[in-house]
Amino acid sequence: MSVLEVQDIHKSFGKSEILSGISFSLDEGKVLSIIGPSGSGKTTLLRCITQLERAEAGKITVDGDTVFDAAETATLSKAEKRRRQLYFGLVFQSFNLFPQYNVLENVTLAMKLQAKEQPDFKEKKDEIFAAIDENARSLIDSVGLSDKLANYPCELSGGQQQRVAIARALAMKPRILCFDEPTSALDPELTNEVLAVIKGLVKLNMTMIIVTHEMRFAKEVSDRIIFMEGGNICAEGSSDEIFVKSENPRLKEFLGSFQS
Amino acid sequence: MSFWEVNLTIMQGLVTTAELFFLTLLFALPLGLIICLGSMSKITPIRLIVKTIVWIVRGSPLMLQILIVYYGPGLLFNLPLLPRFTAAVVTFVINYACYFSEIYRGGIQSIPKGQYEAGQVLGMTRSQVFFKVVLLQLVKRVIPPMGNELITLVKDTALVRVIAVYEVIWMGESFIKKGMIWPLFYTAVFYLAFNGILTLLLNRVEKKLDYFH
Ligand SMILES: Nc1ncnc2c1ncn2[C@@H]1O[C@H](COP(=O)(O)OP(=O)(O)O)[C@@H](O)[C@H]1O
Ligand SMILES: [Mg+2]
Repeated sequence: MSVLEVQDIHKSFGKSEILSGISFSLDEGKVLSIIGPSGSGKTTLLRCITQLERAEAGKITVDGDTVFDAAETATLSKAEKRRRQLYFGLVFQSFNLFPQYNVLENVTLAMKLQAKEQPDFKEKKDEIFAAIDENARSLIDSVGLSDKLANYPCELSGGQQQRVAIARALAMKPRILCFDEPTSALDPELTNEVLAVIKGLVKLNMTMIIVTHEMRFAKEVSDRIIFMEGGNICAEGSSDEIFVKSENPRLKEFLGSFQS
Repeated sequence: MSFWEVNLTIMQGLVTTAELFFLTLLFALPLGLIICLGSMSKITPIRLIVKTIVWIVRGSPLMLQILIVYYGPGLLFNLPLLPRFTAAVVTFVINYACYFSEIYRGGIQSIPKGQYEAGQVLGMTRSQVFFKVVLLQLVKRVIPPMGNELITLVKDTALVRVIAVYEVIWMGESFIKKGMIWPLFYTAVFYLAFNGILTLLLNRVEKKLDYFH
């Protein structure tokens, strides 16, 4: 069953077209990796999918429900925007934790703000917040940071911050979790702890899109791989098809640049 | 004329000075935010008008502005003069709001875009992102330059003597006609004390926000 359908996404900045018609679909519980040279439009694609950027043309559906349609002209209500937004989680290259909140608060903040809108919030506030904290604690535990609950982001290593960012994204129970080069800002010795957390999510059958330059990792965890270049999908296939069998010269050149 | 009496007289001036200081803060802090939003507006005419006003206010002497606000309406439109102290407050509020707006703008522009985006992706509304995520970071970034501005404000209050508002220096100077020059110089102590307390308070707030970067 396909969860995500991306149809013919076009996106320009000024006169330059950054995405020239991207289409793909992603099945339940599968992992899609997006690889490609810097500047090929990977981040822009992820930002269009996660609603941070508005494409000029194209359509995106999740479970058959339209989350973006360039043909749609009516302005959406706040509630509808949020409903669509929350299909997706996004883990940024630069973590973007909230510096003034500790680890637990970073993970619970959005959930608590959302809980305030429940009709029975006033009567059940303590229960609701306790449940949110409980859930956040177990997520933080699952990324291996239960001893850092009360620490602030500035007291954590990059790898730890990124693991908090993953827990924070998971707290919203996204249908699809997206990663934009989650380890690119990290020192090499810290990348593995983050990749290990993502591998844990693969085991839990989380549906994920991962933009990455970690080729060995992509090869290992991906069900499908998209190779992008110049705003187009230049090759697409299973891990084997991309890394072993492909005869695509552009792709081979790109992969070759990683052998050292 | 005892030392005690000199202190009492200057104290009266200090009350006026402090009133001017606090009233300016009270009105200029929020007005500065409005001007700041105007100067960042996506609507070009609004942005240009606001930026021009800020340029004029910051580019001309405060003393002249005090004189214009006090005498201008009468000279130009035959309107009755504002009370002296009111004219002083109005001028200071406008002048300092323009400086504050630039400080706010610097603060807002220094918050990484990723903070807004992280909030949005987590389903927060724009106002939740502003109040729950951005605001405290903004306060932290704005306090050091704001502190400088407040210290300047304390000293600038002395300018209102040009329209005969009886602030600290005016009071100190009033002893000259009684043959005493030292009280004028002695007023410096009052400014130093005022700014000393202000600096301590600002340091405390800065310390409070020291737990994050
Ligand atoms: N906000 C923007 N404004 C203008 N150009 C942009 C913007 N964001 C990205 N681009 C351009 O789009 C192209 C693709 O960028 P990006 O999606 O970040 O590529 P990738 O993530 O694959 O490295 C680049 O040439 C970049 O300069
Ligand atoms: Mg990128």
